[in-house]
Amino acid sequence: MTSINGVTIAIVLFGIGLLGLIIRRDLVIKLLALGLLNGSTILCLVSLNSLPGGVPPIVRGPSTVLYVDPLPQALVLAAIVINFAILALALVFVMLLVERYHTTDTQRLEHEIEREETS
Amino acid sequence: MIVALIPLCHFLLAGLSLAWERGTRGVMLLSLLLDATLVGVLFGQLAGGQAVSVVFGGWGRELGIELAADRFSLVFAPLVLLLGGAVIAYQWRKRLRPYFYVLLHLLFGSVFALLFARDLFNIYVIMELLTLASFLLVGYEKRADQIWASLKYLILASLGMGVYLLGVAIVYYHTGTLNLDLLSAVISSSGDVPQWAVLASSLLVTGVAVKSGIFMFSLWLPAAHATASPAISALLSGLVIKMGVVVLFRLALVFPLSLPLEVLGAVTGLLGIIYAIYTYDLKKMLAFHTLSQIGYLMLGIGIGSEIEIAGSLEYAVGHGLFKGLLFLAAGAAVQATGREDIPGLIARRSRIPLATRVGLLVGTMGIMGIPPLAGFCGKTLLSNGADSVAIQMILFLLSIGTVISFAKLIPLFRLERGPSSPWSKMGAYAILGLPMVLFLPLTRLFLPVELWRESFGTIPFLESLLAVIAGLLIHRFLRKYPLRLPKRIFYLEEAILIILVGFFLVFVLVWLG
Repeated sequence: MTSINGVTIAIVLFGIGLLGLIIRRDLVIKLLALGLLNGSTILCLVSLNSLPGGVPPIVRGPSTVLYVDPLPQALVLAAIVINFAILALALVFVMLLVERYHTTDTQRLEHEIEREETS
Repeated sequence: MIVALIPLCHFLLAGLSLAWERGTRGVMLLSLLLDATLVGVLFGQLAGGQAVSVVFGGWGRELGIELAADRFSLVFAPLVLLLGGAVIAYQWRKRLRPYFYVLLHLLFGSVFALLFARDLFNIYVIMELLTLASFLLVGYEKRADQIWASLKYLILASLGMGVYLLGVAIVYYHTGTLNLDLLSAVISSSGDVPQWAVLASSLLVTGVAVKSGIFMFSLWLPAAHATASPAISALLSGLVIKMGVVVLFRLALVFPLSLPLEVLGAVTGLLGIIYAIYTYDLKKMLAFHTLSQIGYLMLGIGIGSEIEIAGSLEYAVGHGLFKGLLFLAAGAAVQATGREDIPGLIARRSRIPLATRVGLLVGTMGIMGIPPLAGFCGKTLLSNGADSVAIQMILFLLSIGTVISFAKLIPLFRLERGPSSPWSKMGAYAILGLPMVLFLPLTRLFLPVELWRESFGTIPFLESLLAVIAGLLIHRFLRKYPLRLPKRIFYLEEAILIILVGFFLVFVLVWLG
């Protein structure tokens, strides 16, 4: 099974995340789906630039072995931290909404807020 | 080194503002002055023919992070300073938590960093920082509608940035570099546009488009910009949206994106203007209008000739000034009357201070493109440089549409004495209004003299007057037939679906172009 690699898994996960974002109406699940989607892009970035048979890019003395390109892994660290910050802040705002409307259903939230605006 | 110093200063001062609560406003003003001097030095270096760029970490341009300043990025610096000054003046009397200034520092720091960024991944990080800062600023007052609008913004922007990161992954896999200049060398040397570049560039464009106020992608924008407090709306609409356009411009220099950008510009311009015409809520109309004005900029950078780029730049700066002024004045008007809908505002117009009405009038004149003001310059350059009749028609339709949508405000401008407004607010209007009035002479600094003389002759003058008259006439006719436009597309789920459709549209267009 050579066809199953990180990139295909990443694409499948991206699709699941996108589907979750569109069809699930619960805000918390939407945020989970968003996390899945962002995680899949990270997996894609790492595995696309992976090197089968390569050694982790930690230099142990002079050698001629094939090292994996360390740059994508460094980039991914920044992306993970950013996604964590976004998830945390989004959950704080969801908490504020739940305190007020006692629901995490996006359709109901839209209707409630629209009604308040027009009144 | 100065290039790095400007954003860094803001980020350091953001931390300082948290620690030292009482002096935050002063620190903000001082940092804007510091920016002004540093940007002046950069202008001097560029004018002297020096290349202003720095690569960090000693890794070289392939791997290191490069920051560089060029004319394009420095044109936006005065806009940042003016909008920053106006926002501080506008809220001089208001008691704000120091946290507000922390966010403002983060916003300005990331705006400058984005202007100087030359690296796809660096752009990604800074755009995320910009998202976070503006997300917290929209929800600053913690009203329920603000929180919901900013949450929608965060979810859509995060989705967009995920898509962008996929594009980055593909680019790095195929080229081994993320530096924009090196990428453009790689792509132009390969002759035909490679297959991967089509997919990668449509992913990148989709991701950035979510943040740059293009109709199909940025459906979060009307709610977020209409519900945020006036000073923040002014910053978001005047400045933050333009940053996405700057990134699209940088991408257009690397990948062949003429066709998709022109089509997206036409779509966002026309749909935005239709929504603006049929919206009777003042701040919401201004927000829809931002969507349509992005159309001008996209058409300009899509065509990509020198005069068009100059026109887009001028229009971006001009739009920042008058949209900022309009949002500030609209906020004051809404506060004075307690009504947000335009008929309600007109009914209570005697309660609106005279200075606010003058501010609204100057902003409206600017956005309509009445000759000596800011809107006129950009519009004229854009329509002079347009190479096909179709694009000229679209530009003319956009001008007429702008006049139609702002004709609703004309009954507000009766010259009668209202209550007086505080000096701080008048100062804010003056900071944004005066450069707008003096815009035409100022553009000479950026354009060669012959081009300037050629561009601003009698014909564009008459053309813009024709657009105004036509718009006013059509407004008299259209207001008898109100129309309810679909509102469901601004819901979260629908907005995500439309982004998906937009991605396929961009992909096909890149492939065809």
